[in-house]
Amino acid sequence: MSSSNNNGIWARLRKPSAKYSLLTLLAVGFVSGIVFWGSFNTAMEATNTLEFCISCHEMRDNVYQEYKQTIHYSNRTGVRAICSDCHVPKDWVHKMARKIQASQEIYGKIVGTIDTPEKFEARRLELAEHEWARMKASDSRECRNCHSFEGMDIEKQKTRASKMHKIAQDDKQTCIDCHKGIAHHKPKGMKEEEDE
Amino acid sequence: MNKNFISLAVISTLLASASAAIAAPDWSKVPKKDILLFHPGVTPIEWATKKAEHSGSTAIKKGETCAGCHDEKGKLSLDFKRLAGKELEPKGAPKTLSFPVGVQAAYDATSLYLRLTFKSPDGGADPADKENEVKANVMFANDKVPQGDLVGCWATCHQDARTMPGADDKKLKYVKDGAYDLMQWKSAKGAKAADGTVTDKRAMDGGKADARAEGSKSGDTYTVTFTRKLAGGVAMGEGKAIPFGIAIHADHATGRFHHVSFGYKLGIGSEGDVKAIRF
Repeated sequence: MSSSNNNGIWARLRKPSAKYSLLTLLAVGFVSGIVFWGSFNTAMEATNTLEFCISCHEMRDNVYQEYKQTIHYSNRTGVRAICSDCHVPKDWVHKMARKIQASQEIYGKIVGTIDTPEKFEARRLELAEHEWARMKASDSRECRNCHSFEGMDIEKQKTRASKMHKIAQDDKQTCIDCHKGIAHHKPKGMKEEEDE
Repeated sequence: MNKNFISLAVISTLLASASAAIAAPDWSKVPKKDILLFHPGVTPIEWATKKAEHSGSTAIKKGETCAGCHDEKGKLSLDFKRLAGKELEPKGAPKTLSFPVGVQAAYDATSLYLRLTFKSPDGGADPADKENEVKANVMFANDKVPQGDLVGCWATCHQDARTMPGADDKKLKYVKDGAYDLMQWKSAKGAKAADGTVTDKRAMDGGKADARAEGSKSGDTYTVTFTRKLAGGVAMGEGKAIPFGIAIHADHATGRFHHVSFGYKLGIGSEGDVKAIRF
């Protein structure tokens, strides 16, 4: 089935260039690669912005409103963590994996699995458990983008915080083990962990 | 002369026995410790020991006292916004979420004397006790109460006790193991002080501590003095530290609408959050 048509597109691509030097081809290819990669990355990072996330009313009317009442939105120093800071990994491999996984949300948006407050509340526990499991499996990687035990000044913490963090380090716990509900309302019907 | 002598002897004996019955320390010499009480909302022991509700439950499992995290150098370290919110206080929070009670303690060979001094706040959320503007309560845990030395009175506080949301109105507070001694002073004129216990249910009398209470109000400050036998009920020997908690029903409150303290230790001539001095 191979085309012996010398003018076909595949034939043309396989033919060596008669007009342009190797250096020209490499340089153009290199610069185009940068432009392409930059565009790809820009487009992908656009899906990491707060505005993109809340362009879906499911997010804007539920979890965004809850997040606005929390310290990750407004605090003394004005340092803000937006959706992607917690929900999208920063390193490339994990970020790509998450983005591909997240494409299934497009299906959910189309069929409207959580497009009313009632539907959202009915699935809040399931959605939360997905995220908690993801964070636990990565040892709260996204939290540790900004926070670390080593960076904590124990003197500046309240007693109950420093005591709990010491317990967490002794028991090799991860941030999400205790800090559920830090940015969004805790769902009803949370299971009590049997093992710590 | 004989008659005079006998009368004098009788009168002195009467006076001596009368003053022994109301023996009291010189309160101006007894050190006072301020303990902060707070409105607890709906936070029974089932809530406090559930990790999903209260991450501090992990600390309790490890033997930490409630006050160990929540009493920071005499100030309460609590999320008051959460306590007063609809989830933990469905009926409505009182105007004053926290106030101090001055606690003094002294003991002699047979008895413990405990004095509370406080200004009782108005603006209660549920003034259901029409007769008593104020009730002052102290409970002591015996050594059989599980985690009694950590949680103070919380082992008696359950989500199914009366005045809790959805609870049976007749179900009194109770403890699953061990027992508490309960002393209560009521502000109504002529009201009988309670010498009671909390076991599988709360009883306002039948206590073995022969507890008595006297109270008065001067200006806006209440002074309530409890006396009880060291040996009765929860045994309090010299050198022991007894877990205790204080609760004040302010502004005609009843049931769960009291302001409470965390669990602390009363040292009878020994180390404790409050030290009772011998006199």
